[in-house]
Amino acid sequence: MEGLLAVGRPGIVREAAPVTGQIGGDAALVARAQRADSGAFESLYRAHVDKIYGLCLRMTGNVAEAEDCTQDAFIQAWNKLDKFRGESAFGTWMHRVAVNTVLGRMRKSKREHDRVQAVSDVVDAPESIGDSSSLRELEEAMNKLPRGARHVFVLHAVYGYSHDETGGMLGIAAGTSKAQLHRAKRLLAQQLKTDED
Amino acid sequence: MNNGDENRFDDELTGLAAKLPDGVSPGRDLWPEIAEAIAPPAKHGGMLWTSGWAQAAAIVLLVAGSSGVTYFAVKDDGRAAPEIIYSGNVFEAVSGDFGQQYTLGNEYLDARSELAGGLETKLSSLSPETRQAVVKNLNSIRVAIQDLNRALEVEPDNALLQELLLSTYHDEMSLMRKVDGIANSAMRRDDI
Repeated sequence: MEGLLAVGRPGIVREAAPVTGQIGGDAALVARAQRADSGAFESLYRAHVDKIYGLCLRMTGNVAEAEDCTQDAFIQAWNKLDKFRGESAFGTWMHRVAVNTVLGRMRKSKREHDRVQAVSDVVDAPESIGDSSSLRELEEAMNKLPRGARHVFVLHAVYGYSHDETGGMLGIAAGTSKAQLHRAKRLLAQQLKTDED
Repeated sequence: MNNGDENRFDDELTGLAAKLPDGVSPGRDLWPEIAEAIAPPAKHGGMLWTSGWAQAAAIVLLVAGSSGVTYFAVKDDGRAAPEIIYSGNVFEAVSGDFGQQYTLGNEYLDARSELAGGLETKLSSLSPETRQAVVKNLNSIRVAIQDLNRALEVEPDNALLQELLLSTYHDEMSLMRKVDGIANSAMRRDDI
């Protein structure tokens, strides 16, 4: 276990949402996209798709579901683009759209029940893993977390949202977010220890 | 795992999670489906235009036909209507103008020419009021025919327009035949 986590840098917590993107370039593209310029919106898609897909993949744990969520998120963003006032970076706004899309789809879909069976889709996909065995094992362990704990861990520990932000996005209290994070860490410890053994 | 180990593990886990890359490239290009979904709905300008023409023509036809039939509530003279050759919605190309792809049968065209040729003479035998009403209705029908032909140039396969045009030609023929019948009977009364 300690060996597994030895590559990590202790104490690094990104409290502010790190998703910023190319702010200057995005602003011009957003302005054009708001005038129904689909070419500009495609540029925004190209610039942000990896981050959005990564988020969707980690939250759903399923490649096909993540692809659908990513597409839905960008379609939602296009439809709501007139409401984007530029108060945050486009990437941050897009991230929230994606989280809402994932949660909305999960409420409607029963596919989540099949998530554990579909995890192999994720771990086998070379683009979904980190560049070290430790990161790969962590991704694998995250995918086995229960949904609530996984969502909190992904948003807080991976993407750096605060507990207030995480709770706000997930519709739970900040205290619940902290409790879920604690639960996630215990489950991850158990999982990673088992793998090490 | 004691508290110290737990805290150390939490720190290491947090650090490792923070090292995970934000982005993951999808295995395929997801844009085409998005582009399709956000594309504006196809505008059917031509369809709307032709539908407008068809509606206008139908209204003109309805007014002209009903007023003509009401005015000329006379008995048919018994002659068979000249035949327009068609099978289903596809008219056989014989001769004459009919939309862009279709033509009227020779027999129909002959009968139409015969009636149209004698129309001026027949009209002159009618009273001024009757003549004015006939001319007005006939003009309305012919405007409808022109409109329908123009609409069919844009939508040659539109079955509704084809039916409307066919019906309008029939109405034109029916009106001319009734003028012919009235004129003949008026002449006979004059003769008497």
